Amino acid sequence: MRRSSILLAIPVIGCAFFFGADADAQTGASASKVESDTVKYGKTPWEYEPYNRFEKPYNRFFLDTLEYPGYGRNIPEPEHIDSVKIGFIGPIIGFASESTGGSEEIELKVNQRVIRWDGYRASHLAPIGIKMLQGSQLAVEQANARGGYRGEIPYQLIVRNDNGIWRASGREVIMLAYKDSVWAILGTVDGANSHIAIRAALKAEIPVMNTADTDPTYVETRIPWVFRCITDDRQMCYLLADFAFKKLGLKRIAALRAVNRYGRMSIDEFRDAATRLGHPFMAELQYEEGDTDFSRQLKRIQSLNADGVITYGNAKESALILRQMRNMGMNQWFFGSDRMVTQEFLDIIGENHGNVAAGYPYDPTRKDPEYMQFIKDFRNRYGEEPETYAAHAFDGMNMIIKAIEKVGLNRALIRDQLVAMSNYKGVTGRKEFDAVFSDRSPAYLAILKDRKMEFYSQEEIFSEKIEF
Amino acid sequence: MYRIFIILAAFTFLAPLAWCQSDTTITLAGEPYVYTEWESFTEESTHGGLINDHIFFLEADGDSLWIGTEGGLVLYENGTWKSWTEEDGLPWKVIMGLAKDPKTGELWLALFGEGIARFSGGHFEHFTQMNSGLLNDVVYGVDIQGDNVWVATTAGISRYNQVTGEWAVFNEKHAPMEEVWTYNVDAAEDRVYFAVWGGGILEWDVKTQVWTDYVDPDGEMEIDLYRDDGLVHVITTSASYIDNVLWAATYFGLSRYDRRNWRGYMDIDSGLPSNFINFAVGRSGTSCYSCTDKGLGVLVDYETDTWVTYKQDTEDAETWTAHVMVGKQEIRTVPTNLDLPNHFTISVEFMGDDIWIGTGHGLARGIGNGYYEGLRGKGSSAGRF
Repeated sequence: MRRSSILLAIPVIGCAFFFGADADAQTGASASKVESDTVKYGKTPWEYEPYNRFEKPYNRFFLDTLEYPGYGRNIPEPEHIDSVKIGFIGPIIGFASESTGGSEEIELKVNQRVIRWDGYRASHLAPIGIKMLQGSQLAVEQANARGGYRGEIPYQLIVRNDNGIWRASGREVIMLAYKDSVWAILGTVDGANSHIAIRAALKAEIPVMNTADTDPTYVETRIPWVFRCITDDRQMCYLLADFAFKKLGLKRIAALRAVNRYGRMSIDEFRDAATRLGHPFMAELQYEEGDTDFSRQLKRIQSLNADGVITYGNAKESALILRQMRNMGMNQWFFGSDRMVTQEFLDIIGENHGNVAAGYPYDPTRKDPEYMQFIKDFRNRYGEEPETYAAHAFDGMNMIIKAIEKVGLNRALIRDQLVAMSNYKGVTGRKEFDAVFSDRSPAYLAILKDRKMEFYSQEEIFSEKIEF
Repeated sequence: MYRIFIILAAFTFLAPLAWCQSDTTITLAGEPYVYTEWESFTEESTHGGLINDHIFFLEADGDSLWIGTEGGLVLYENGTWKSWTEEDGLPWKVIMGLAKDPKTGELWLALFGEGIARFSGGHFEHFTQMNSGLLNDVVYGVDIQGDNVWVATTAGISRYNQVTGEWAVFNEKHAPMEEVWTYNVDAAEDRVYFAVWGGGILEWDVKTQVWTDYVDPDGEMEIDLYRDDGLVHVITTSASYIDNVLWAATYFGLSRYDRRNWRGYMDIDSGLPSNFINFAVGRSGTSCYSCTDKGLGVLVDYETDTWVTYKQDTEDAETWTAHVMVGKQEIRTVPTNLDLPNHFTISVEFMGDDIWIGTGHGLARGIGNGYYEGLRGKGSSAGRF
């Protein structure tokens, strides 16, 4: 009886094998487009991949180079132009009423820390926007010093503000494309405005080079007109997570982040990494931009006995949170975004800053000759030091100019040439663009030591020579 | 006993192999209608009658066609062209959407960066965020539901009641919107749907006045975990509601929802020529036309997964070819005389048995002589689903 049961079970098992092998379309076994297990979007380590322990996805996106199969390449160059216009859009003015009236060349007169500028109240993102504009302007001026377009026609920067109220950035992109007739656009910073801008650029079919918005979702829309030449929060969060959980061995991290889109979206990959490593956030609390008292949230975190705190927000609020933490006797590691790596942050945090780490998109301590020359040129031009937003804007604008020089005045061809520049050496380092045209060059970790940021690569962090 | 085991084992292992081999032949369950005869129109071929070749939206009005272009408004009527530009009082030349009010006959325009306009009696009345309750001037779509004009803007939803003059605004404070950037609107008497970029699909129930959102359940941008668990992706571009079925277009494929089950379609498993769908509209609950960056993908019959895909097979092909498919499997090709130079399709509209498509360079009309819905001779043989 027992032997006959075994014999009868074999065909049943055989049937299950054959019918199960004809995989249901619902699962990923037969339908996934993954060419190889080594092809990963965003250089995501296996342990940070979504659902890695449970299911192979039905389909993966962002692995194939985005195409533009439209008609735009056939549009002929204009016969006569007085200048080659390149659009700039960034947060430089506070109010929409001040941003109407058409494009204008903005003369820069302020440094990063002044809050009034030419009589207008600058937006809280204006320090970033102005640095972007400085970097862009320097690139354009240098190109014109070399003779301009094809040695004959000057490049002209057309500037529009993206920080008006009522979400004016979309309209500004439309005006740049249709009224100012620019050939490409550099900008923006704020995540919401960036997404608004790229959807407009998609309809208008104009390339947009982003040099400041580190929101991971910025390139996750399959728009073939969008480029980004700065390492994003996906890479920076992976590095922060590696550092916090694998190097430091932390297990109980709490989050206190800005309630805006930047705080909500840019912390995503760190949150997901924490969960997938088995250390989900102890709590995730919020604050409004402009808040100055975080005691209620910090008391809550204090009660949780967290061994680390992460924040995602602007420099000012991040610094105030850190200072209040230390004043309350909270001495955990404090993690945050690249917006903490600024003089504004250092000015607020005080002496007793403790252990602080932030993600950063490149190594600003490099002695690369091209980078050194850029610093010197920037200092000579503006009387102050450049920083990440100026440097990345300089790179992004130079990429646009080089693309225009190579292919001429056709937006689709400029787009194609930017796609071809998948490996580009800029002042911020060697850039490696992926299939969705986002820079995936390695992020760096900025560790605060004696009120000075020190920068480490992934390799250096995990070398046995360095302890934190 | 040993002999019985041998027989059973042979049946177990050989029968499925035989079945698998015979399963590679996919046949049509019936014949889909193929548009082989087309008229194409460009600015050049119409001698400027079509004032701009970049076609953003089409709206049928009986036997006439309103055309929203990048360079103005066009009406094609009785074989003639009439156009309006800013010189004619059009507030802004870039028109993203059009909606004809069936009650009043007035035409509403979605202006890209300049709000909306009502065209009536030869005049344009202009509504902007500065002179009305309109939420934002970057408008992607407009549609009519009863007395209401629903507007999809980049900052959320506006609704204008034409009788009371009242404006209402909906964004993340009033509706379950993950993001507020609305990209398209489709209104019916009982429901209004919005494609919300980054937020999936938003549904307004006219009777209960309740919002419902539909998102991709896996919550990830870089994968689709399961094809039929919900929306294929939250980057939605259009919504089309017909016969109690929602068709949702994304840049990652197409979804169909019959209020009970979801069904996803991607270029890896269907007749979609590309996942990058600019716009999709349902011709019925079982048929949908998807305008992609690589041609027009027509799901002719949902039950049998039968498609007809219209595209240029090569970049220099003089005419488009129709590919008859079941799922991803091509059955045969049919030549057409559609000779638009590029198959980046942006809009589609039905006019009786005919269809109109708008592309990045030109407009075309598919002549529906002998058009029929679904499949002819359906049920004569089994097609694989």
